[in-house]
Amino acid sequence: MPRKDHKGKVSGQLPYISDVKVENMVYGVLYRSTIAYGRIKSIQLPDLPEGYEAVGAEEIPGPNYVKIIKEDQPIFANEWVNYIGEPILMLVGADLNILYDLLEKVKIDIEEHQAIYTLEEAIKQKSAPGVTMASYEFGEILDTITSIELKAHQIIEEEYDTGYQEHVYLEPQGMLAIYKDDEIVVQGSMQCLYYIKNALINALACGDDDVRVVQSPTGGGFGGKEEFPSMMACHVAVAAKAVKKSVMLVFDRSEDMVVTTKRHPAKLRYRTALDRKGNILSMSVDLFLDAGANEGLSSVVLQRALLNSAGVYKIPHFHAKGYVLKTHTVPNGAFRGFGAPQSFAGIESHMCHLSNTANIDPLEYKRKYLVKQGDPTITKGNFRDPILMEEMIKDLLNTSNYKKKKTEFQQDNQQNQRYKKGIGTSLFLHGCGFTGSGERDHIKAKVKLVKSKDDQVSLKISNSDMGQGIFTTLSKIVAKELDLPYEEILFPYPDTKEVPDSGPTVASRTTMIVGKLLERAAKKLKSQWQTGVEQEVVENYVHREMIPWNEKTFTGDAYPAYSWGVNIVEVEVDTLTGNVKLEKVYANYDVGKVIDDRVMKGQIDGGLAQGLAYGYLEKMTSKEGKIQQKSISDYGPPTSLDVVSIESKIFDNPYADGPYGAKGAGELTLIGGAPAVQAAIEDALQTPFQQIPVTPEVIIDSLWMKEGEEG
Amino acid sequence: MAEKITAYRFDQLDQTLSQLNKENCAIIAGGTDVMVMYKSRRGVPPKIPKPIVFIDHLSELKRVYQKHKDLYIGACSTYSELLENPLIPGPLKKAIKTIAAPAIRNRGTLGGNVCNASPAGDTLPLLYVYNAKLLLRSVNGERIVAISDFIQGVRRIQRERNEIVAEIILPSVMEEGAHVVFEKVGNRNADAIAKVGFAGYIRLNGAVIEDARFAFGAVGPTMVRSVDIEKGLFGKTIPLADTDIAQVVGAFDKIIKPIDDQRSTAIYRKTVALNLLRYFLSMNQYQHNQ
Repeated sequence: MPRKDHKGKVSGQLPYISDVKVENMVYGVLYRSTIAYGRIKSIQLPDLPEGYEAVGAEEIPGPNYVKIIKEDQPIFANEWVNYIGEPILMLVGADLNILYDLLEKVKIDIEEHQAIYTLEEAIKQKSAPGVTMASYEFGEILDTITSIELKAHQIIEEEYDTGYQEHVYLEPQGMLAIYKDDEIVVQGSMQCLYYIKNALINALACGDDDVRVVQSPTGGGFGGKEEFPSMMACHVAVAAKAVKKSVMLVFDRSEDMVVTTKRHPAKLRYRTALDRKGNILSMSVDLFLDAGANEGLSSVVLQRALLNSAGVYKIPHFHAKGYVLKTHTVPNGAFRGFGAPQSFAGIESHMCHLSNTANIDPLEYKRKYLVKQGDPTITKGNFRDPILMEEMIKDLLNTSNYKKKKTEFQQDNQQNQRYKKGIGTSLFLHGCGFTGSGERDHIKAKVKLVKSKDDQVSLKISNSDMGQGIFTTLSKIVAKELDLPYEEILFPYPDTKEVPDSGPTVASRTTMIVGKLLERAAKKLKSQWQTGVEQEVVENYVHREMIPWNEKTFTGDAYPAYSWGVNIVEVEVDTLTGNVKLEKVYANYDVGKVIDDRVMKGQIDGGLAQGLAYGYLEKMTSKEGKIQQKSISDYGPPTSLDVVSIESKIFDNPYADGPYGAKGAGELTLIGGAPAVQAAIEDALQTPFQQIPVTPEVIIDSLWMKEGEEG
Repeated sequence: MAEKITAYRFDQLDQTLSQLNKENCAIIAGGTDVMVMYKSRRGVPPKIPKPIVFIDHLSELKRVYQKHKDLYIGACSTYSELLENPLIPGPLKKAIKTIAAPAIRNRGTLGGNVCNASPAGDTLPLLYVYNAKLLLRSVNGERIVAISDFIQGVRRIQRERNEIVAEIILPSVMEEGAHVVFEKVGNRNADAIAKVGFAGYIRLNGAVIEDARFAFGAVGPTMVRSVDIEKGLFGKTIPLADTDIAQVVGAFDKIIKPIDDQRSTAIYRKTVALNLLRYFLSMNQYQHNQ
């Protein structure tokens, strides 16, 4: 069965936002701060030719912030600048060439202040005003841990760092505001229509009917188009309102790489008490996230990071504390996994190192601590559904021939001086849907099915197909329930004038939550079906009460359901260059039930490639507030020559509240990549690492330090 | 509105050369470097400040042939064409395969790689150890210059405004007996700019070294090569003694001075460059692989 979006994409005919031209359209270009932290003293504009105008904070009808959670992100900075690249004003006009020339002539005087450039500096200054943006703490009482540590055989302390990750969606960010007398229509590449609509109502200080948000074909999101597009939407809408023309703002790759949100760099500190045999007696984790200049979604990212800080393990006497810290760097934001990849990289690495201390195979060690059905979560919630991890592990051990490989590699490595082989594993889960009571209290999703007179059924939901395939999967669900051919179900690009708020396209919630609502809506429509009559059905989210989530105490069921995974990765490391070659990648997953096999395989292959690359390949750095890698080749996401074919299998484990049992799948597939590849490199080199990405530079540094050779 | 540009595309090399003699032009062969160098921001065409002369189609610049033991490669041969050509030595093909991706290799040319004179030019370490020479042509005739004299610095070459690099000559490359290796270290396996490039060349008479050459890319403004260090190995026997290896590695340690940039670190580049050299010198046997 072809994907709904197959033809347009494969033929190249599908127009993305940068292909669109409308009447009376001008372009916008942003003047951005060149200073990381400072106070704006004066703005001097060049003489603007006719038809060219500047738009800044003064032109914003409403309050000057992008509505997300906190009110700390200006639409146009007008007092303080907090990072290099922060938008100060926009020049609009018909010719980009002229706009770029004018941009060069804008003079802004900024009084520079001492900036915080790194997470390390922010940790040192975390008590200073404004540096700690959010923090949470939960778990075992610290006095109890102290008394356990006093009796422990040894205490292992480790510090672990994770780097930036850039989304590298194929289509850079773009947004168009179409000016009309009675409304502004904002159209662009996005994941969350109603986030944008709410930000626009706030920025334009207008009514619900005065703005409309329409998704255009979206070439990849990965979280990068969750909250960031709200800012661009405010830019073009404010400008359109000011100049009474339609305004287009599209980034090229380098602008996109330098100014858009990234995955939060993190530092994790583990302190674990062990008994004589290497058994865990207690564990404390301190977790620090680099938010960049604005809080954005960082506090929620931290929540998910903390909720996953014990991995898939039942750790006795576990305690966790986390901080979101401000630096004067580009704001970090949503990215597939949303804080979990940092935590899983950290805990899997730590568990592997603990297993070395205990002199037990890492996988055997980890299996001893695996959570089982009925176990409490670290927040006193409950793993109430069946857990298939043991079955999935056993199966993958067989498929990969793990034990045999491990022995063989060790022998081969004795012989081969240059190339060393290694094999590593990762065990992981992903909490599906919003954290805690988010679905019930904040999202309150609503879906609509509309049937026309000629009995054509359309999905009316606010969720984006950004390449992940919901046009296909959700249409399949509705088609099946209505007993109609899949081809006849329509799923037009969502437009807030037409669709209710079924929530943002994030958090592995679309299939599980929205898909279930659509299944129910379709059932309802079928029961009321009247041929040749226009009909409409609506379904609202119903919360299944479990152990209620309390955000203050961090207790209760953090997620309604969990998806699970096991990865095994084989690598070959070139000890002369530090280059890592993937040899084999194996993966088993439990996502409840798969709706479409090929869409799922797309998530597995893409998610794993992105997750593996996070562990060893993709490298982004910031130097004095400036992102250093401005091109795809310098950043280095994997090409088809870097990834091997991925052998994967799905285990059915239907979840009662998902459509046909489906749980979340989109983020899960990324999470296990990095820890497995790190473990494989460690196995090859018999050297522990305390960071990802484990780049060739890190490897060579470590081998060089070990051998003490001359560099 | 788009500005007018002047571009020439003559049928013959002669006409091209006479135009170059009249006017200072930007020469475009494959365009894979020029178009990037003059790239504008989104939505604005590249701004090339000179009239453009296209040479990619000139058959006089695309011939590959052997003369005596020397190999002549037309400067406008694309990488893809060279990969198909049986005369091209294996190590050079290996280097070409590491360049970008098929689409770029269909456009990019060997002459372009030389004239772009990037510190990270992928084929340059090999061309240096092959002692490549360049045949330049102009209305005044032709001249031949060694690649190490021709490339003078980052994107600085010894080409007169009226000249074209017509052919790349690999002297004696068809002769038997040399062992050549090429290694490119990039951040990934395609579409990557070299962090370190290394080419090693060794020719033996029995176990005795008759000739040895080494060149390093991406560790300085131009390729690093030292004839003096190389000469120290002439007459030594294989396998080399540890002290000989250490001496050569130590000598290169002094002259390799890489930098930190967005792609890698100076310490990494140097360590890896020396690792690859040491590995090459430590081999127990070298097989002819031309």
